[in-house]
Amino acid sequence: MPLILLPLVRFVFAILTISFAKARKAFAILSHVVDAALLGHLLMLLVRGAPTSITIGGAPIGIGISMIGDQIGLTFAVLAWVLSVAITSYTWKDRLRPYFFLLLNLLIGACYALSFTTDLFTTFLLLDLSTLVSFLLVGYQRRPRQIWASLHYMILSSLGMSVFLIGIGVVYSHCGCLDLVVLESLLSESLGEPWLHLAGALLVAGLAVKAGVFTFSLWLPSAHARAMPAVSALLSGLVIKMGVVGLLRLGFVFPIDLPLIVLGAITGILGIVYALNSYDIKRLLAFHTLSQIGYILIGFGAHTEVARLGALSYEVAHGLFKALLFLTIGEAASHAGGSNLKTLIENRQQIPHGTRIALMIAVLGIIGLPPLAGFDAKAILEDGLASVPLHLIVLLISIGTVMSFAKLTPVLFSRSTCKTTRSRILSYAWLGGGIVLFWPLSLLLVSPGINLHALTAPHIAEAFVVIALGAALYLLIRKKRFQLPLEIFRLETSPLMILLGFFLVYGLLAIGR
Amino acid sequence: MGGYRCIRATPGGTLVAAVIAFILFGIGVLALVLRRDLVIKLLALGLVNAATILFLVSIGDRPGAKAPIQLPGEVAILADPLPHALVLSAIVVNFAILALALVFVMILVERYHTTDSTRIEQEMDRETDEEETPCL
Repeated sequence: MPLILLPLVRFVFAILTISFAKARKAFAILSHVVDAALLGHLLMLLVRGAPTSITIGGAPIGIGISMIGDQIGLTFAVLAWVLSVAITSYTWKDRLRPYFFLLLNLLIGACYALSFTTDLFTTFLLLDLSTLVSFLLVGYQRRPRQIWASLHYMILSSLGMSVFLIGIGVVYSHCGCLDLVVLESLLSESLGEPWLHLAGALLVAGLAVKAGVFTFSLWLPSAHARAMPAVSALLSGLVIKMGVVGLLRLGFVFPIDLPLIVLGAITGILGIVYALNSYDIKRLLAFHTLSQIGYILIGFGAHTEVARLGALSYEVAHGLFKALLFLTIGEAASHAGGSNLKTLIENRQQIPHGTRIALMIAVLGIIGLPPLAGFDAKAILEDGLASVPLHLIVLLISIGTVMSFAKLTPVLFSRSTCKTTRSRILSYAWLGGGIVLFWPLSLLLVSPGINLHALTAPHIAEAFVVIALGAALYLLIRKKRFQLPLEIFRLETSPLMILLGFFLVYGLLAIGR
Repeated sequence: MGGYRCIRATPGGTLVAAVIAFILFGIGVLALVLRRDLVIKLLALGLVNAATILFLVSIGDRPGAKAPIQLPGEVAILADPLPHALVLSAIVVNFAILALALVFVMILVERYHTTDSTRIEQEMDRETDEEETPCL
């Protein structure tokens, strides 16, 4: 029952928020308390070894709407709750219309449901709900660039969902069911059949459009960079993860390990290359969202339990530091007069002290300084990687991350007399605390043995070498400017890139059989 | 309704409808890529969605099947109703997205007086952050 209640309660609060606008702050607190109680109950059941599952509507399993409160679902649901608390606190003093809180509640409710569902068609509907709400959130301030970014997102997302729906059709026409748990046992005997490759490629391509994967999610840099900070934090920290959870659950049923690894490597490396060339910091963060998704896909594709746990931990870690980065850069940009690096450096004295400390914690988290969130999750992920080339790709992405965040160093160190609001400090402390205390907190997700191994000397030494190497390489190339093709991000080209990505995945599935 | 205990020997659906859906999907994507007019782009997106829906409807079909309404005492081969039920939800979602997209296009047209995507992008690039006042 809590599995259904979690999203439903949020939808009820969404209606209450818009109906009784004056009480929206009280509803915001109440909704988080109720969610915490329900999530706590589900966690207790999971720890006792009896994860809740339910099929709604009386239909047989395989056809009805099935939900499961397993480790994956709860990880994503807890992340949604944590980010919801942070965003609510960040926007506490802002004069936002009740409509914003309606959208926020709908989005969090959809994310809860998406975390738990194992039914492909329900996934399709909920992804559409979450993206419809995201379109409205991106265009909330009604600035032309936001509306343009939202339209771009909408067109590509609708195309992606059509591809996903065709994949659902192919699966249903062969199996007569759409539940991933049932499909897992059903399809184990028919691996290698051509229709399975087609269905796998269609479903992966459809989800990849939502999941921030390069060649598919080319709407992402402009949408994440142009939305207001609270929305960017939610989109980057949470909404794209809903595509990733779909890919993760799909990986248990379809043989998509090779496509995940290849897409992960492409996404990670190209994300870094574009981030290195970005001097608008919000755009840089958006490209880093792509690069970090690269780690996660490689972790899922490596097909070992430790790598999967590492990727799951990285999901949470990325949600925390990317949300904090977007929130702090958003506030810094509003004080400094723009999010361009030059403007931020010139007006760095205007950036409040608390904001800068939070930004520093987030940057240290993403570059993987021990023992912060990025380091711990990455170390677990690396422990699970069996092949040397995968290690090298992960190292390359790590060095690139340090190189591109080295640009922010002058912003991090300066004197300031400005102050930020208490509610924002609370939001930063909530997310920053999660980044600093990630290692003990991750014991809830990862067993102590695996977690302790992340804190061994080789991993710590590797992290410091990566940071030193990244900083040195940045000093070498900082004056150089590269011309990168930006045509791929245009509305005319990106649908073709989705199709190209689909053929790549199909080809890889056919090769991998 | 199709059981799920085994993989079907012959998948449900008609080939003709699937081929037509594939052609329509291709035309839709081509128009999405080649045409710069935003309204035409949205029409193309509608075509892509319609092709998907046609494909889903087609997989419910079986040779000699009737509409899935069973009268008392009648024994007949019926079309699979589940894809049809799925299609209903998909139509609603696609309608909502298309309607919202049209509203966004309308807002952009009011501001830039054109539906040409390239010209809108150029106009936006010319605007500085200060000039970028909210629409409406």
